[in-house]
Amino acid sequence: MAKKLPIVPSAKAGSMAEAPSGIIWREQHPVIGDKCNQCLECIMFCPEGALKLENGKVAVSLELCNGCGTCAFECPQKAITMVLEFSGDRGIFPLKEGKS
Amino acid sequence: MRKGGELVKMTLKDLPQQDLFGPGNAGCRGCGAAIAGRQAMKVLGARTIITMPASCMATLSGLNQKTAWSIPFYHTLFEIAPAVSSGIRASLEAQGIKDVNVVSWAGDAGTADIGFQSLSGAAERNDNIIHVCYDNEMYMNTGGQSGSQTPIYAMTSNQQKGKRTGKKDMLKIMVAHDVGYVASATISHPLDLAEKFKKAAAHDGFSYIHIMAPCYRGWNIPTDQSVATARKAVESGFWELYEVVDGKKTRTHEPSFIPVSEYLMSQGRFKNLSTEQVKEIQDAVNSHFGRKEAK
Repeated sequence: MAKKLPIVPSAKAGSMAEAPSGIIWREQHPVIGDKCNQCLECIMFCPEGALKLENGKVAVSLELCNGCGTCAFECPQKAITMVLEFSGDRGIFPLKEGKS
Repeated sequence: MRKGGELVKMTLKDLPQQDLFGPGNAGCRGCGAAIAGRQAMKVLGARTIITMPASCMATLSGLNQKTAWSIPFYHTLFEIAPAVSSGIRASLEAQGIKDVNVVSWAGDAGTADIGFQSLSGAAERNDNIIHVCYDNEMYMNTGGQSGSQTPIYAMTSNQQKGKRTGKKDMLKIMVAHDVGYVASATISHPLDLAEKFKKAAAHDGFSYIHIMAPCYRGWNIPTDQSVATARKAVESGFWELYEVVDGKKTRTHEPSFIPVSEYLMSQGRFKNLSTEQVKEIQDAVNSHFGRKEAK
């Protein structure tokens, strides 16, 4: 005897990536330098999944990054630098050095 | 990991690039729980059903009509995540579906305190599920109160002079349930964590994995130090990485025994510790590892 179950709202898989929250309060973002040797450690340690291997190079998705700095601290090659910025709905405005 | 019959060491390049959990999650900066979730999902794969009680992880991975999971995710009541997982497994068995991992993923409260009775029940029934405890050592989702997993002398929002009693050893309790696979892991050793999830997924029966996942808000550390703090905990011997397969304990990482004070003093929650208290903790670690004197 099959019951007629009510239709309940459910979320589309992975839909939080469409409107990430971290970007609103980000203060700095990583920039990957030439020293990167694709060891992939930063990708494992990123809480947001903002780092990805694209065309054989590690790339940052600034839509997802919330600027914790874990990748820059953990990078064995010290290839990642954190750049201060303002971010939000209107885009990213890098800060000049010494004005933080 | 085995390749062509030979035992080879897994590398980070062997793990899939696809993220089944993570993108867009609402976690704090440098969230240890989110790192643990991402690392675990790389091994568990798309054929996984996850249940989760009220916790940071449930909140940060699903708000309103959005979710950060790409796999079926069920938000249970606080005390019943392993029981719901048992039910899902029973349903899958009735339908003859065998290639699905059923995981209940709870915080330290959902595992050791509020959720303990259903966890103990599922372990006693030896249901074929994996229970994961991500342990940030406080009730962080409700404002950082102390729980049974808070270590001794740590300051929390309701015990501002530090907790007076030690941490309940959940791993020993789960070993006492006589389950097939029990392991401790942490986010700073992703390959070690991946191997353990692989073994737990292959194990036919109840498995328990306890992940230490630092929380920058509660532990009072800079946002980029979550992984580094976990590594200090492992290297000082404060958090031992091991697995227990059918009652036999194997240590999976030999610590280098840096002084425990290096781990404790890097965190704001231990800033009230006196020299005697640090020595007491160091002595406890030394006696656990059977060492005479720290150098």
